[in-house]
Amino acid sequence: MTHPATAETLFGLSPLVVSLAIFVLTYAVIVTEKINRSVVALLGAGLMVFAGVLNQAEAFHGIDLNTISLLTGMMVIVAITQKSGVFQYVAVKAAKVVKADPWGLLVMLSLVTAVFSALLDNVTTVLLIAPVTLLITDALRIGPYPYLFSVIFASNIGGTATLIGDPPNIMIGSAAKLTFNDFLINVGPVAAVVMALTLIPIYFIWGRKLRAAPEDRALVMAFNERESITDARLLKQALFVIALVIAGFVFAHALGQEPGTIAMFGAALLLLLRVYDKKAEEQSHAIHHTFGEVEWITIFFFIGLFVVVAGIEKAGALELLAHKIVEWTGGNFTATAYTILWVSAVLSAVVDNIPFVATMIPVIQSMGNAFTPEQIDILWWALSLGACLGGNGTLVGASANLVVAGMAERAGQPVRFLPFMLMAFPLMLASIAVSSVYLWIRYL
Amino acid sequence: MTLRAVPLLPEPVCLRPDTSLLEALRLMLDKGVNHLPVCNGGIWAGLVDINDILGELLPASARGEHGLKDLRFVGDGTALIATHIKELAAKRVLDVELLDLPTLDEDTPLLEAALLLHRHAAPLPVLGADGRLKGMLSRRALLAHLIAQVGI
Repeated sequence: MTHPATAETLFGLSPLVVSLAIFVLTYAVIVTEKINRSVVALLGAGLMVFAGVLNQAEAFHGIDLNTISLLTGMMVIVAITQKSGVFQYVAVKAAKVVKADPWGLLVMLSLVTAVFSALLDNVTTVLLIAPVTLLITDALRIGPYPYLFSVIFASNIGGTATLIGDPPNIMIGSAAKLTFNDFLINVGPVAAVVMALTLIPIYFIWGRKLRAAPEDRALVMAFNERESITDARLLKQALFVIALVIAGFVFAHALGQEPGTIAMFGAALLLLLRVYDKKAEEQSHAIHHTFGEVEWITIFFFIGLFVVVAGIEKAGALELLAHKIVEWTGGNFTATAYTILWVSAVLSAVVDNIPFVATMIPVIQSMGNAFTPEQIDILWWALSLGACLGGNGTLVGASANLVVAGMAERAGQPVRFLPFMLMAFPLMLASIAVSSVYLWIRYL
Repeated sequence: MTLRAVPLLPEPVCLRPDTSLLEALRLMLDKGVNHLPVCNGGIWAGLVDINDILGELLPASARGEHGLKDLRFVGDGTALIATHIKELAAKRVLDVELLDLPTLDEDTPLLEAALLLHRHAAPLPVLGADGRLKGMLSRRALLAHLIAQVGI
């Protein structure tokens, strides 16, 4: 089947001008947060086609189905797994391992959050860890703020470490054909270092003053984490599938497979294990319910953004930007890498990092003429570190931050925008400084 | 027929917004009621529900959506509840979300009053033209009146 050629753009304007106008308008409305971001992105995508910048085939081609499948598959797996109570189990166990010592608890909750965020999405992780955090600090009669602050930081830092930890990495990995292992080897170490170093200022600001009475600690030690496991069969099935999926990610490259297929297959396998012994009607009900828990807002946001970005990419705007960046840095590779790292970090602290990364991916791809493939890989790490760690800068920097703030508010312990930023922004910049040193030592 | 014909609950106690939750709870227990009206300078402000006071005794992390689904793993938890009971003295009725209920007046038709009562799990306030609380209309009062009217 042949597709019709791109129609004449509206009003006879150049595709570059039209596509940029749609792009700027879309992003501007997204930033105002007045209208749901998925709706705005889909409208922007539609306009790109109606205005004749793209035809439908080109628009569909712009949608990275590997990213969409990976996100959707992991969301299904997480939606099922969280019902087993395993996250609560681990959080309570972690608190008891350190005998409910306040500082030990903060370190453990941060580590648990970081590890879960590396393997699952950040929002789910904090949705599961923050309530347990609030409960334990309630029992210990300590203000939860330092703990919630650390959970936010740990979720974004942990998410940086792997291909599947944070949506920017999923997008970068998919576009640049970087594997799970590539991320683990290249950004994993710096994420671990940043996590450890972040705990030092947190200790001096809050940690050393945290105290809990022995009777309150005894209360936490009396928690029975085994009671958290509400469905042992589900737990076994979920852990089996997650282990299989992660093994799949690790060996994906050797097997010649993409992460999207692995995640989607894992989701289907877990659904099968959940329903194979049920009647047809119960199966439909259970699967309908699980699919209902997928965050479709995020998925449709991605779909719309991919099309909008495909529009400006086809019109040549991103190649132009790439040339400008290279020109501005005088073709100096180190300066380009640092520019990407720092600009990504600062922008991701104040705006959603997903649209930013969606835009930057074709920009970096267009730099192929100026730099070698090995150098381009380093730019991917700079973008990943900047976009993921930058999310820590303000309360609106990442969805997980807002989720924690929302829960804290409902629990009567609000996390305010300015006080959070005054602490978080410098700490975020410090993590980017650490990343700069890492890039310098390892690659530059 | 309108509400004018229905005898209201006698002597409604109206709490001031700064009444402590502990005091409100004690009054509820003394009077054997599950709700107490709250008035600001005599003007109706809302209804405090005993279930909200019970909610204050639970860990905040288990209240509301996305909270902890169950608390079995916490075990006994008496010490935790005791801490929260002590805190009731420092919390005011205004700190809990008061029930936002439709208000009635003496000209409200009985059928409309019956429908509104059926839709809300609490007695409803009957206000004067100046917004002051004249009394609370309970299911029992309305039903007793209706039965007497029909005369069976």
